[in-house]
Amino acid sequence: MARWTDIDRTLDMMDELRRRMDWMFTEPERGRARPAFRALFDDMERPARAPSAWPAVNLFDTGNALVLEADVPGLSEKEIYLSIQDDVLTLKGERKSDAPQGYTAHRRERAPIQFARSFSLPCRVDLEKTSAVVKDGLLTVTMAKAPEAQPRQIQVQAK
Amino acid sequence: MSNETSIQTHRSDAPEKLEQKPTTAPFVDIYENADELLVVADMPGVAKDQVAINFNKGQLTIEGRRAPTTSTGLLAAEYRPVDFHRAFLVPQGIDTEKISAELQHGVLRVHLPKSASLKPRQIAVKAG
Repeated sequence: MARWTDIDRTLDMMDELRRRMDWMFTEPERGRARPAFRALFDDMERPARAPSAWPAVNLFDTGNALVLEADVPGLSEKEIYLSIQDDVLTLKGERKSDAPQGYTAHRRERAPIQFARSFSLPCRVDLEKTSAVVKDGLLTVTMAKAPEAQPRQIQVQAK
Repeated sequence: MSNETSIQTHRSDAPEKLEQKPTTAPFVDIYENADELLVVADMPGVAKDQVAINFNKGQLTIEGRRAPTTSTGLLAAEYRPVDFHRAFLVPQGIDTEKISAELQHGVLRVHLPKSASLKPRQIAVKAG
């Protein structure tokens, strides 16, 4: 007799495959991306569902400032540790398990995770004019560029 | 890829347009106890008024629209902020009138209470 856990596991794998197919189309192209099809399968056997780097971040250059956005669902401002030294930004924290007491779990995709990521920023930033806001599970760090990195218009003179 | 298709009418004389927006399935946990089923979904970047939860013919659909964020000068991207959409088939015996949901820190919790007939009951034995 097939055990139910085997069937569950097969269904889980199918779900995971679907998610990865979705992901293949929504994931923006990365310069150093692995061939998409190989990437689909080569870590399929990993038990953890957590992505390899968490949280995923996007970095923007708005001209006068650098803006970093990260999806941190479930984290409040007290659970995120952010530091900037020179041009290295470090993001640390822990997403604790929020499983309610007295419930049986049918499906767990939101794994608790401890994370620490560091990024080297493309230029120096002004720490006095840096702010970080977390709203609805979205972290936005706005860093004004250091004066020497600010864009400047150079007047062209006729001679 | 899952796409959400919606019909939008802009002007009465213009033809209807099909708008296709990419969506992604949010990560969910599903829990159950004697009183209810609980669906917990990660929906970062979605404000409270941008969540739609529908229950129709035994299917629970959760949708969330992300507010537009910074859009210029992308230097490095690890994800694309697309809207969320996921549907579940819900077993019978859910009290559909009492479904409730809350959203905190980008995590959505949908409570699906079981109807009274499904809850475990203790039958008192009377002395004859």
